[in-house]
Amino acid sequence: MKRIGKLRHLFFLLITFFGLSGLLIAQDIQVSANLSETNIFSGEQVKLEVSVSGSAMGSVKQPELPQINGLRWLQGSTSRGTQYTIINGKPSVTYTFGYVLIAQSPGEYSLPPITITVEDESYQTESIEFSVLDPASLESGDAERSPDIYVRIEPDTNNPVVGQQVVADVVLYFKNGVEVSSYQPTPGWKAEGFWKEELNYPQRAQTSSTIVNGVRYQKARLIQYALFPTKSGELTLSPFEITVSVRARRSSSDPFGFGLNQERMTLQSVPVTLDVESLPELDNAEFIGAVGNFDIERSISTNDALVGESIEINTRISGKGNVPLINKPKYNLPETLERYNPEETSNIERNDREISGNRNFRDIVIPRNEGEYSIPAKRVAYYDPERSDFVIVRLPELTFNAERDPNAPLLTEKDLRFNVKPVTGLANWKSPSATPLHERTLVWILIFLPILLTIGAYGFKKYQDRMQTDSAFARSRRASDKADRILEEAEHTDDIKTGYYLIEKALTQYITDKLNLPPAGLSHSDLIDAVDKFADKELTGSLKKLLDKCETIAYAPNATHKTLSSDIEQTREIIKKVGKLT
Amino acid sequence: MKIGSLIFLTSFLFFSQTLMAQQGAFDQANTLLESGKPMEAMQAYRNIETDGSVSGALYLNMGITAMQLDSFGLSKFYYLKAEQFPSTQSQASEALIYVDSQFSRQSAILPKLPWDRAIDWVNQKLTAFGLFLIGFFFTLAGLTLLYLGWLNKLPLNKTFSTQLTLIILGSSLALLAFYADYVNQRYHEAVLVSSSQRVLELPDDESPLVSIAYEGYDLTVDQWESKEKDGWIYVRLGNGQYGWTKPEGIKVL
Repeated sequence: MKRIGKLRHLFFLLITFFGLSGLLIAQDIQVSANLSETNIFSGEQVKLEVSVSGSAMGSVKQPELPQINGLRWLQGSTSRGTQYTIINGKPSVTYTFGYVLIAQSPGEYSLPPITITVEDESYQTESIEFSVLDPASLESGDAERSPDIYVRIEPDTNNPVVGQQVVADVVLYFKNGVEVSSYQPTPGWKAEGFWKEELNYPQRAQTSSTIVNGVRYQKARLIQYALFPTKSGELTLSPFEITVSVRARRSSSDPFGFGLNQERMTLQSVPVTLDVESLPELDNAEFIGAVGNFDIERSISTNDALVGESIEINTRISGKGNVPLINKPKYNLPETLERYNPEETSNIERNDREISGNRNFRDIVIPRNEGEYSIPAKRVAYYDPERSDFVIVRLPELTFNAERDPNAPLLTEKDLRFNVKPVTGLANWKSPSATPLHERTLVWILIFLPILLTIGAYGFKKYQDRMQTDSAFARSRRASDKADRILEEAEHTDDIKTGYYLIEKALTQYITDKLNLPPAGLSHSDLIDAVDKFADKELTGSLKKLLDKCETIAYAPNATHKTLSSDIEQTREIIKKVGKLT
Repeated sequence: MKIGSLIFLTSFLFFSQTLMAQQGAFDQANTLLESGKPMEAMQAYRNIETDGSVSGALYLNMGITAMQLDSFGLSKFYYLKAEQFPSTQSQASEALIYVDSQFSRQSAILPKLPWDRAIDWVNQKLTAFGLFLIGFFFTLAGLTLLYLGWLNKLPLNKTFSTQLTLIILGSSLALLAFYADYVNQRYHEAVLVSSSQRVLELPDDESPLVSIAYEGYDLTVDQWESKEKDGWIYVRLGNGQYGWTKPEGIKVL
């Protein structure tokens, strides 16, 4: 092995020496402080590193620590290191001063700025917030129950809207003392209901310290996915499986660590459920499926074209969000333009924990005739999750003029050998009607008409049958007609006695038919008794009075046609009332 | 009586004026076509159609205009519409033969089943409503015989088989009319007027390709199935294949 470290050291010192010969003190000196943990248990040790770096600097004094509330410096635990680097051809040196501190009483504290003196110039670090935790506040047994190593999927939000980007980190947690030498995700992880895109991420996972349920873990973000929900509702991210090679603590049977204790483990995350909300309604623009922050532009390749020349209408949608899921806006292209299948291209970036890029649509049309063509303005919309609302972009109207190529032959009917001529005379006009049968009123009338007719005819048939077979029913139904005929005859008679005879006949006929009494052999009192069973006294009295008058008319000297007519009317009234009794 | 006459006269004048306006606009469009302005003529024809009046002559002239605009797919669409009118049927059929011969790609056509042809005939010649009326009158005739039998005007026993035949036949025709109407409402003939269109197995851009339809291809659109997916229509190609495609460039008759 070549020993090159000292040579590099010497080389750097030479450069520094010559560079500082003009007593030039570097102006790009940077200082920083870093605590190895910011959540520290009381009594736990923590390391503070103070760094000063620059391309060239003279003497650097060991910084003196100020009073730090919540931490106590363990005297004699300081360390010092130097690192040389060359970045873009420029040399740089970094001095690091380490201190070990021990956490005191629980509480929230701030590490004050630390002053560093370089060549009599003073520099200060930024303050650092940290917490000292009380170990007694932890539930007993938490540490024992917690696993040594596990994996989790951690989405950055649990309530996205459809199409919104969700960054899901696959994070490995392992306790101090567990060394993870390698990991291998099991291929084929599916995120049902999501469109999935793996984000670019450093190959070497960076670890950081964290406390989970009172137990200190190292966490390493292994993989990042950008997930885009494609539907609303509760969507579950299935368990993510990963195989890790772990070098565990030395076992009691191998106290000197002769064995490697290398172990391969398969870990599986727990399922994570996201509640995906649907997008609100949009009615005054076309939603193109884009969710994020976008710029939308539309342009035309030319404004002056020849007939038969292809013209491109380019739509460019660029920005951050679900770029590959964006749909092409629908344009109302003139029908006389010949259209070809639109072309689509995408350019996607996967850096900085987000999907960005652009999506381009190219409509190709060909004018087949000269003239002025117009593609109307269009309102398209995308959803911006930061605003929680749609952003509507108006794409302006595009126009172009097509002219016929003077060298191209004009297409005529003669050239086509087409013998059909336009109709130029009077035409038979009609309104296009395609109303379904079940929506036509006339159809329903025609369906129900036979049913109603049949019901009516059947009722009439039953009536006829009864008239023929049921004599009482037939007498009752015909009684009124018979009585009317007799009374009409009475009205036309000149003889008063005959008139009253006909009145008596009409009443007798009607009452016996209506009440189904024997047609002959009944006295007036029988008739009155029969009516009396159904009628009130007034009707019975009127009937008796009229029948008595008919019987005694021969002895009535002052009977006139006028009284006869009056009695015929009274008879009709009585018949009407008797008719209502049954 | 006077009010009735006034309403009749007003209605007559209104319809007469509407018809005259359509005819006038049609004549103007024809003049534009004859003077070599097919684009303006097409727009004028379209305005007449949008106003709610159509005729075989209108569609025939639109087909000829579309040919002059060098859009054979659109031309075929209008000739197919003109073919549905008795007055222009023969001219439209002749034009269709010519237009079909101009397409660079021809689709294989699977002949329709006799039953489907019969339903098509009912919808195109009789119309569903016409068949329903025939069914209605058959049923009514059978019922009339029944009523006369009930009224003892005809011997019920002797005419029973005739009554039954007429009623069953009439009801069957009425039901057939409803079926024909259902087919007519659900399946619409269409023509592809754009240069080509991909037909996929599922309404998804990533779905496997069934076939590519080219300008002038006859398609049958399943309207009911198409309602299930926005931005997609379910079509049957002339060769009997089914699939989903985008509605752009497809003109439904």
